[in-house]
Amino acid sequence: MRHLSKIGLHAVMLIGVLITIFPFVWVALMGTHTRGDIYSSPPPFYVGNNLLQNYAELLDIMPFWTVLFNSLYISVMGTIAAVLFCSMCAFGFYAYNFKGKNLIFGIMIASMMVPPVLMLIPSFLTLKYLGILDTHFALWFPGAASAFGIFLIRQYMGNSITRDLLDAAKVDGASDFRIYWSIVLPLIKPALATLAIVIFIGLWNNFLAPLIILSSPDKFVLTLALRSVQSIANSPWGAIMLGTFLSMVPLLLAFMFFSRQMMDGLTAGAVKG
Amino acid sequence: MSSVTLKNLSKSFGTVKVLHDLNLDIEEGEFVALVGPSGCGKSTLLRIIAGLDNATSGDIWMNDKWVNDFSPRERNIAMVFQSYALYPHMTVEENIGFNLRISGLSKADIKSRVSEATDILDLGQLLDRKPSQLSGGQRQRVAMGRALVRNPDAFLFDEPLSNLDAKLRVQMREEIKRLHQKVRTTSIYVTHDQIEAMTLADRIIIMHAGRIQQMGTPTELYKNPANVFVAGFIGSPSMNFLHGQIQTNQGKAQVLLPSGATIDFIDRGNLPADGRVVVGIRPEHLEFATAENRDNVFEGKVDLIEPTGAQNHLKISVNDQTLTLVDTSLRELNIDDTIRIHIPVEKVHVFPHSE
Repeated sequence: MRHLSKIGLHAVMLIGVLITIFPFVWVALMGTHTRGDIYSSPPPFYVGNNLLQNYAELLDIMPFWTVLFNSLYISVMGTIAAVLFCSMCAFGFYAYNFKGKNLIFGIMIASMMVPPVLMLIPSFLTLKYLGILDTHFALWFPGAASAFGIFLIRQYMGNSITRDLLDAAKVDGASDFRIYWSIVLPLIKPALATLAIVIFIGLWNNFLAPLIILSSPDKFVLTLALRSVQSIANSPWGAIMLGTFLSMVPLLLAFMFFSRQMMDGLTAGAVKG
Repeated sequence: MSSVTLKNLSKSFGTVKVLHDLNLDIEEGEFVALVGPSGCGKSTLLRIIAGLDNATSGDIWMNDKWVNDFSPRERNIAMVFQSYALYPHMTVEENIGFNLRISGLSKADIKSRVSEATDILDLGQLLDRKPSQLSGGQRQRVAMGRALVRNPDAFLFDEPLSNLDAKLRVQMREEIKRLHQKVRTTSIYVTHDQIEAMTLADRIIIMHAGRIQQMGTPTELYKNPANVFVAGFIGSPSMNFLHGQIQTNQGKAQVLLPSGATIDFIDRGNLPADGRVVVGIRPEHLEFATAENRDNVFEGKVDLIEPTGAQNHLKISVNDQTLTLVDTSLRELNIDDTIRIHIPVEKVHVFPHSE
């Protein structure tokens, strides 16, 4: 009976995996077919022989590798900045007592309740005023101090770092920055990895912000470039599907890298035990 | 090494005053224990001496230097925490060498200093382990090593043994004492365990409600407690207390108990004007009465017998009061047996009632 329920559980999980993975496989397969094959009935659920032509067409319709690099650049810079600034800010909220600390933290949390769409026009106007429209900087920098990230890391610190540990480092003669860098950062790796994944995916998949900020095609990111070559008729679907598939690869790699960090951190061991 | 002097030190958290005008002199090389019940302010005091907290008022001097504004590092103190506070992501070697690394010592120097400390503490085999792979006792030793490695002017211990089991605690206590005899560094040791304080310290400071109650050697505190609090705190099992009124009978100083019985005592002065006092008798000073004993003899009934091996703790009910007696003769007794007990007059402590 127990055996049976285990098989049932595995079956359910397997179906879940198949449903999740289907769009990825579908996109990958369509990237190897011509537009005509894709529209045929039934659709070709097998590897086609048009991969190289699709690749040539992809490079023809957009500067694919430039665009991919742009996306990568924005995502990597944004992730590094967010992880750095959020953790520093969270450390400030966690380790120091200052007047108005709770009020500031409260306002910061409250800011998460404002729908991002509402900020679209104000942020556009701000960026315009600062003269950084149509730059990559405008895409990755404003998100560097995210309220969500600060909150996430601050809460994690509460569970993983004791006051004694900070005091011990102080007694050892570590400066504030040294404590943050040598003691706190290594201990909050799982939270950093979680935040990094969320921020990386968010920046990678971002479409709306690049749409309003970027205007020069050589600065386009993947989401924007892949969208811009679609039209009502004659969209080169094979090439677009190949581009879409290639654009997923860095995301998968990033996830694999960060999830490993997450596991490492979770098994590193705590203060007591 | 360094001497530590506190002058009129006070600390308040908001409107709550937790330390009241403390004055204290700790000699160079001395081992001092700060003892008191939870919440008496002993850990707060230690943190202020360490430089982790600021005093609200008063001065701290170390080696004749005014150090109120000094960081822990500038005070050159080392501290062992109750939770050990080892860095979980570093190996034993890195944990011990962390403060040397901050000081910018060369790798070779760090290695030799760390191995010196780990040799003393017998940690040589564990250098590559992480704290999570160590037992409680080993972690404790690493915490000691971290303090030892930097040759500090003073060691501060904040209840370092309270997370260990009883056997290991005794063992570590011995090690700390040996270590102190070897390095002779000024040490301040906070604990709520009087046995720990008495076995380790040259001098004990007893604190209660943010005030120093008494300072002295373990024997002084045991023999001449300054007040009821100290008397009850030092000694195990704790002292028997009886309330009564002073009277003089044929030139002898006596305390009249509510039951009508009297206890003779030696008048050492310092008695209250209203005559209301608390009599203190240590359980180990109560004895079975012999035919020769005439004064301070009482009849009582055995209520409870607690054998501890080398001695039995007897709870004896005398005139509606319960007294504890430590019986080292291991006399065969049963519950409800009637016995006669004697209180040697020179062992009777008398304290003013107001305390």
